Order: sequence, then structure tokens, then C-alpha cells
Amino acid sequence: MTERSVTHATFVVDRTYDAPVERVYAACSDPVAKARWFVGPDAWDKSDHKLDFRVGGAESVSGGPPGGPIHHYAAVIWDIVPNERIVSTYEMHMDEIRISVSLATLELRPAGSGTRIVYTEQGAFLDGYDNAGQREEGTRGLFDQLEAALKRESADA
Amino acid sequence: MSERSAIQASFTIERVFDAPPGRVFQCFADAETKRRWACHENWAMSEFDFRPGGREVSSGGEPGRPVYGFNGRYQDIVPDRRIVFAFEMARDGVRFSISVGTIQFEPHGAGTRLLFTEQGVFLDGHEDPARREQGSGTGLDNLAEMLRREAVAA
Repeated sequence: MTERSVTHATFVVDRTYDAPVERVYAACSDPVAKARWFVGPDAWDKSDHKLDFRVGGAESVSGGPPGGPIHHYAAVIWDIVPNERIVSTYEMHMDEIRISVSLATLELRPAGSGTRIVYTEQGAFLDGYDNAGQREEGTRGLFDQLEAALKRESADA
Repeated sequence: MSERSAIQASFTIERVFDAPPGRVFQCFADAETKRRWACHENWAMSEFDFRPGGREVSSGGEPGRPVYGFNGRYQDIVPDRRIVFAFEMARDGVRFSISVGTIQFEPHGAGTRLLFTEQGVFLDGHEDPARREQGSGTGLDNLAEMLRREAVAA
């Protein structure tokens, strides 16, 4: 019998960005802006990010190291409060294998002239392919990429 | 500005049934069987599509009380082993929680050990997570009762 397991875990990323709430929210909700930072590490082949930003809308992006497994992210948006909150659920696949199902809550709050984001992920990690520690590390990397994108925007403005 | 909040909570409920995992799984996988234990005069299922990406929709409420709605989407299905689904609940059309539910079915002697885990976010102060745990327990009690009646009738 195939070994099956589920590990349930929660992690939180709590960051402050030097950009107003409206810009951080736009980076999370506008497909063009989000595609600039919501990507795999530089070494990955070009991926095709799609975002239909509305309640019930879907988001997807795929990528992976050359010659390696393809990581597929597929999300559904459940709740939107403009400039305040986005709640989605998402699955990760490695090639054809579903490796996790997660609930992701992103909250945005003004912090002085900047923005504090609190991202909480409650994940069901399937059959030992991934774990909360690795997922948290990867997620922190994405929020680093968001910071870099916001800084580039400011420099260009 | 309205008060906004988001409270995360998780719980796991365990139940042991005398019926084997295939039978217990079928109680979640087959629409008519599911209706027999999950629905009653105040709760009805209007949509049921048991496959990854498929929807399940149900609603109801006591006369004169608010109408509750369940809107779910199946994510992962491993026959006789596991179901993972995402769902929101609403009261009178206002969404108050979004959750991921995991049901695991394990052999337990000749019967089944079922684990239900809910990981949820409860929005804007509308619901106390402890009530969700209670409600989920009641649902599984109804399933246990139906399986018991089946065993007696057999």
C-alpha cells in the first residue's frame, strides 16, 4: 500500500515595506505588477504567470530549474478587501504530483508612510514531498522579491 | 471604516467507525449517501461534483433564523484514503470563514479511523472558531449514527 501522510502546519511572514498601502496592494493584485516579483529563482526557465483578480478568480504560474521537475502553483481567490486583505487557497504540484493544499491570508496595514504585511499560510503538506520549513523559506524569498520590485518602482518613478 | 479582523484556527477531530475505509469513504464520495447523513429538513445540498476542482454547495437554517451557506471546492482526492477540500461559509450571504479541510481514512482493525482537520480563517469577528469544531463534531456523529443503523439492518 502506498504510504500516505498529511502534515498540517502554519507559518507567518510579517514584513514592513517602504511603500504606501496602495502600491503594495497593487503589486499583489495587478497581473502586470505581480508578474514582476511572483516568480521562481532566477535560474528557472521563464514562466507564464496569469492572474484573474476577483473573488472566484484563478492565479497560476509554473517554472522549474532546467531539466528538473516543473513546479505548478494554482490558486483560487476567496476574499478581497481592497488595500486590506486577500484570502486565497492554492495547490502546488511537482510535475503531476499534488504536494500541498494551503490557505493563504494576506493582510495589509499602513505603518507610518509604509506598509506592514502579515501573511499567514495554513498548509496541508501531502505525502512528505514538501514541509512547512521549506515552504516558509521559499515564501520569504518571494516577499524579498516583492521588496526589490517595490524599490525598483520607486527608483523609476 | 468597518472593523476588519482575521483569526486563524485549526483543529482535528477523530472518530472510529466499525465500517471499513471503503464504505466510510463512499459516504463522502457518493451524493445520495452523503445526503442521508449530512442533510435534513433544514439543510440541503444543491451541487455535488466529487472530483478535484469540483464544487459542493449546500445551505439551510432553522425557520426564522439566518440562512447559512457552504460553498466548497474539492482539491485532492485519494480513493479510500484522503479528501482535501477548500470551503467558505456565509451567513445571510456574508462570508465569515474560509478553510481547508482534510479528511483521512485509515484502517483500524476491520473498521476505520477517520481524522478530520480544519485549518480556517475566521473573518471580521463573525464566528467563534470553537463553534466550528463543535458543528463538525455533530456532522461526524450523524455519520456514525447512519453507519450504525446500516450495520443493524444488515
